[in-house]
Order: sequence, then structure tokens, then C-alpha cells
Amino acid sequence: MKGEDARKRAIPTTRFPRRRSRARRRHLWGLVPLILYLGAFTLVPVISTLLLGFRDAQGHWGLGALRSIASHYQFSDAVVNTLAITGLGLSLELGLGLMAAVILARRLPAQGLIRALLLIPLGVPTIVSASAMRSVFGTVGYLNEVLYRLGVIALPIDWTGDRWLALVTVAVADAWKVTPLVMLILLAGLQAIPRELYEAAQTDGAGPWHQFLRITLPLLRPALTMALIVRGIDAFRIFALPLALAGRHLPVLSTYAYVEYLEYGNQHTAAASSVILLLMILLTIGAYLRLAGPGEVLR
Amino acid sequence: MKGLRWIVLAALLLCATSPLYLLVKVSVSPPAEVMTPHPSLIPHAVTWRHWQRILSSGQITAPLRKSLVVASSVAILALGLAAPAAYSLAQLPVRWRYGILLGLFLCRMLPEVSIALPVAVVFVRWGLQDTALGLMLAHLTMVLPVVAWVLTTTFSTIPRDVEEAAALDGCGTWRTLTRIVLPLALPGLAVSGLLAWLFSWEEFILATYLTLEAKTMPLQVYYYLYQGNWFVTAVAATLMTLPVLGLSAFLQRYLQETNLAGAVR
Repeated sequence: MKGEDARKRAIPTTRFPRRRSRARRRHLWGLVPLILYLGAFTLVPVISTLLLGFRDAQGHWGLGALRSIASHYQFSDAVVNTLAITGLGLSLELGLGLMAAVILARRLPAQGLIRALLLIPLGVPTIVSASAMRSVFGTVGYLNEVLYRLGVIALPIDWTGDRWLALVTVAVADAWKVTPLVMLILLAGLQAIPRELYEAAQTDGAGPWHQFLRITLPLLRPALTMALIVRGIDAFRIFALPLALAGRHLPVLSTYAYVEYLEYGNQHTAAASSVILLLMILLTIGAYLRLAGPGEVLR
Repeated sequence: MKGLRWIVLAALLLCATSPLYLLVKVSVSPPAEVMTPHPSLIPHAVTWRHWQRILSSGQITAPLRKSLVVASSVAILALGLAAPAAYSLAQLPVRWRYGILLGLFLCRMLPEVSIALPVAVVFVRWGLQDTALGLMLAHLTMVLPVVAWVLTTTFSTIPRDVEEAAALDGCGTWRTLTRIVLPLALPGLAVSGLLAWLFSWEEFILATYLTLEAKTMPLQVYYYLYQGNWFVTAVAATLMTLPVLGLSAFLQRYLQETNLAGAVR
């Protein structure tokens, strides 16, 4: 009896688990180079940015660098500008992206062509879109010309002269490139809504507007949240567009860090502002994980 | 209602396509047509002057070459590093896989400036500033999470039965991989390689931090933009967009069919 028990136990503990663990170990080998690489070139740099940010130029630990950027007017401008561009950009992208997605979700003639044309900006490199936007928003640019011909304005507008106008310009330029991505995410969300719901609503006499408010929007919430977060994080990190369109006059967090390091050679203030940016992004990701749950992100 | 839909669609199409149209138009327009208070919207004359000027200036070949070298190496290295990882990930239990993918996702969301700063500081010390190798290493940090992600999806669609059948027929591990798994994963490998290439081709922030003299294409375009010559900027920008449009048209077809459809369900 006792011997049999021992043998029963002996079988699983000796044969199967060892085979399984050997198999698992072999599977994990493939991961090693990737994890080592990301550890060395992502984790270590981010940690050293954190360390740099919490030391000042004399090497003292503490909030010295953070305090010195906090008193720098360009830094507070950078924070406000980053948040303003994000807010403006996201509202534009979600509004336009939703409109485009709703239109594309229906059957249309030449659907493939329309979709391909709408997706063009997504593929355009950021610096190229900045170049194109320069000729659109220049003082002798094409937007002024179109507005003039339509009789909206008599004198050209300096789109990047005034700070708030420049923020709108940058947000529009950013939205031009990424609205197609929002459209794709929302379109995928729309296509996952069962047709029967609309049919049932129609039989019950609900109009198109009512259907949109009561069926489309609530069921689109996961897609909307995802678009909001993915785009929000990208917008926090915006770099090339404000630099190329408005230069130093319109600092955002990324370009502020860049100027502090490459122009003034101050690693600590550059790191400190990167730390603020990092915190903003981590908070956003945290909020999303709370809202959606980790499974939702990856499915 | 139906009419309204078409009006909105027409407006969206116009907004989506016109900036690129204007860029190309500027690149082939005589200056008199553009640098006036009232530039013409339709090309009245076409000139290749700016294109000739750029292509014969000798300023563009070095950036083109550097960008090509970096982007191609990034694509190849990313596949080499991420494919084994993705193959492993695809075989892990779902919980583990999601955990690691979530970690990769977080890596991708980190601000570039917080990675670029210490990397630039160290690369100056190592003599990697301004080199193709240094930029490549930096680009890989941003590319690897995405490539590993796409490839994990690819590998997890390959049924384990196929591999087991091959093993039963006497294929060794290596043979199973090269004869069975890799051919089946080829579309996914091609797509993620292209994604990596495109990312590196247009990457701006890391390149700015790691470059002094040897510019890449995006930095060269920025340089022209900064100088304020619209025509030269437009030519360089159009030049760097040409390969991108072709490749991304191919990619978008794949992206909308497979990845995003499942992304939010």
C-alpha cells in the first residue's frame, strides 16, 4: 500500500514535470536576447534619467533640478502647451475620426479607394507632414489663400505668430496625420457591433440619431477609450511638429528637454522634465489599466 | 441625410489629400507661382529645377545612404532578435504571454526623450555619436516591442499540430523551424520587417539626439525646413515619402484586416 503510494507519487514528480520544465526552459531561451537588449537600452536609460533628474549639477541628491525647472517660465509654458495640444488634438481626432468611421462603416461606392485616400496621412513621415503644413499654414501659405478666395479674410493670418493660434495650428497638423489611426480603431469597434441591434431599434421606431446615441456610442466605448489613451500618450510626446512649425517659441515637454540638453548642456534639468513627462504617461497608462483591465489592452 | 454624408466625406477627403498634393506641387512649381501673396492652387507650369538642384547638390546622397543603411539593418536585426522571442512567447501560457506583452507595450509608451538622453550621453563616451551603428542600436529599442508583438500574433496562429506532425515525421527542432514554422510565418515576418524599416526611416527624435554631422533623411528635411527654402524642403520631403507610400499601402491592407479588427473586440 505504502509502496504503491510512493510509486504513484514518484511517477508525476520524476517523469512529467521534468519533461515539462525542460520544454519550458527551452521555450524561454528565445526571450533572453530581447529582454537583455531592452533591459540594457530601455530600462537602464530610463532609470538613469530618473537618477539624473533627482540630482543637481553639483551632484547633490534631491529635488534641485525639479525645483529649478519649476521656476523656469519656459517649463511651465511647456506643460501648458503640451496639455493644450493634447486636449485640442484629441477632440479634433476623436470628432473627425468618429465621423469618418461612421461614414465608412456603411456601404459606399468606391469604398476601397475612399478608404485608401483617407488613410494616406497615416503613412506620411512626421517631418514630411511638418513640411507640408509649413506651406499650408505659412503667412503666404495655401490656407490663407483659400480663405482669402472664399472671402473669409482680407489680410493674411500669421498662423504661428500668436501662442494660442500656434497651439491650434500644431494640434491641427498633428490631427491631420493621426486621425486616420483613430478612424481605423473606431471602425474596427463599429464593425464589432451586431447589426441586429440596429434592426431591432428600427422596428421599435428609433431614428438614426437615437440609434447613434443609444447603441453606437455606448458600445463603442472600449474603442473610444483605447483611441483616447493611445493617442493621448503619443500627444504628450509630441516633438517634431512644434519644433518644425513654431520653433523655440512654442516649447512642449519633449522639446524643452531637448533644448535643455543640446543647447544648454544641462543633463539634470533635461532629465527632470523627462521625468515629469514619464510620470504623465505612466499615470495615463495606469488610468487606462484601471478602466479597461490588462486583458482588454492586448486582446 | 445622405447628401450631408457625401459633403462631409468630400471635405474629409480634401483635407486628407490636399497637404500632400501641395507639397508635391511646390516641389515642381516655379518660384513665381508660390512665393507671392496669392499662390496658385493649380499648377500652371511645371519645372524640375528644384529636383535637379537637390539631386546634383551632393547634400542628399549621404543622408539617403545613411537612412537606407540604418533602416535596413534595423529591420533585419529586429527580426533576428524579436522572432525567437515571439516564438517563445507564442508557446507560453496565455497569462505569461499577456504579462510580457504588456511589459513590451509599456516600453513602447515611454517618452523617447527619457531614453535618448542617457543613451546620447553614453554614446558620446563610446564614440557612437554620429554613427549608423549607434542610431541603429537606439532605433531597435523602439522597434523591438512592436515587432515582437506582431510576430507573437503570427506565431500563435500557426497550429502546434503542424510542428508535432513534422517532429513525428523525423524532423529535428532546427529542421522543423526552418522548413515548417518560418515559411508559415513569412507574411508576418515580412510585415513586421516593413514596420521596423518604416519606423527607422522616419524616426526623428533619437536621430536628433545622436547626430552632429552625419544627418539622416528626416534631419536633412528638417535642416532645409529650418533654412526656410520651401522648394528644396518640398523636394527632399517628397523624395523621402515615395518609398513610404508604396510600403504603407501594402501594410495598411494587412493592418486593417488582421490586427486592428481584433484589437478592440
